[in-house]
Amino acid sequence: MADLSTQNPCGLAQRVATALLRASGGTTACLQMPPLPGDSADAGQIGLDAPGFLSLPLAPAVFRKARATMADGQLPKYELLISADAVAAQVSQLKLSSAQALFTQAAGVVVAGKLFLIEAVSSSESQGTAYLYRLLLQEASGEWPM
Amino acid sequence: MQNAKDTFYLALRNRLATVNPARTMTLRSVTRPGILVEDAEPFMPLPQLDAFTLCWSGLVADLHLPGILAQMSCEIRYTTAGTQPNAGLDRGRALEKMDDELLRLLYPYSEQKMNYTQTPAAAMGTLVFWSEPAFSPAAMDHDRLSRIATVTVFAFQEANEA
Repeated sequence: MADLSTQNPCGLAQRVATALLRASGGTTACLQMPPLPGDSADAGQIGLDAPGFLSLPLAPAVFRKARATMADGQLPKYELLISADAVAAQVSQLKLSSAQALFTQAAGVVVAGKLFLIEAVSSSESQGTAYLYRLLLQEASGEWPM
Repeated sequence: MQNAKDTFYLALRNRLATVNPARTMTLRSVTRPGILVEDAEPFMPLPQLDAFTLCWSGLVADLHLPGILAQMSCEIRYTTAGTQPNAGLDRGRALEKMDDELLRLLYPYSEQKMNYTQTPAAAMGTLVFWSEPAFSPAAMDHDRLSRIATVTVFAFQEANEA
């Protein structure tokens, strides 16, 4: 049975999440996004052309080591918590359909000058609207400075 | 050997655009035929659905011929979850369609070797040729159905080739 009670979304959860992330030592994470328009040349599809990824800043974000069990030969995993307000602003600016589309297009995320690969994305919602995104990251093997 | 790999991928990509123009994907802001080289694209936590992914694995060099003959194993992986109108219940049919498309992409089993590091790409002196595909059994993972077709790609190393 549908819930027909009146709910008035006022963005409270989004503001609380943003304030909490900022107060918890929020930093800036940069998504590595392909340029628009993309490289449609043959050389761009066989690893010859540099991809020219653009840095898309998202803040406030909190970066921490994930509580996953460490295993031999596996790179450590991390969590990145991002304010949904910051994500929504970039989704709107890039005219994307959703936050999922934004994260799907990203080739990785740079935090404190280090590249991480996005393994999974989840969101927490209040009244049907996301207020926090959680990215599960793995350290990239390349040690090149970003 | 890289020229042979590039030639093989671009031959299959161009053939796919003819065999099934509707099989496209958007990757790095470009809409293109649904085929990609795994080691030339960013890390993907999940396979690209309804597209062919080329993964280069084995390498054998035959040194007992006038020229070096490289034999490279290429795994062509493809995964589908079916279509939305059929709620994914047509994933078996979708995989069969990709099997059929792959057979069409691979025939004929050769292509003029090209050097794509130059612009425009330059034709080289030999052919790249490949075996018939060996299909693995279909594998089910949750609501996704996958298969791997393995092809051995042959190419002579030319004198001026890196």
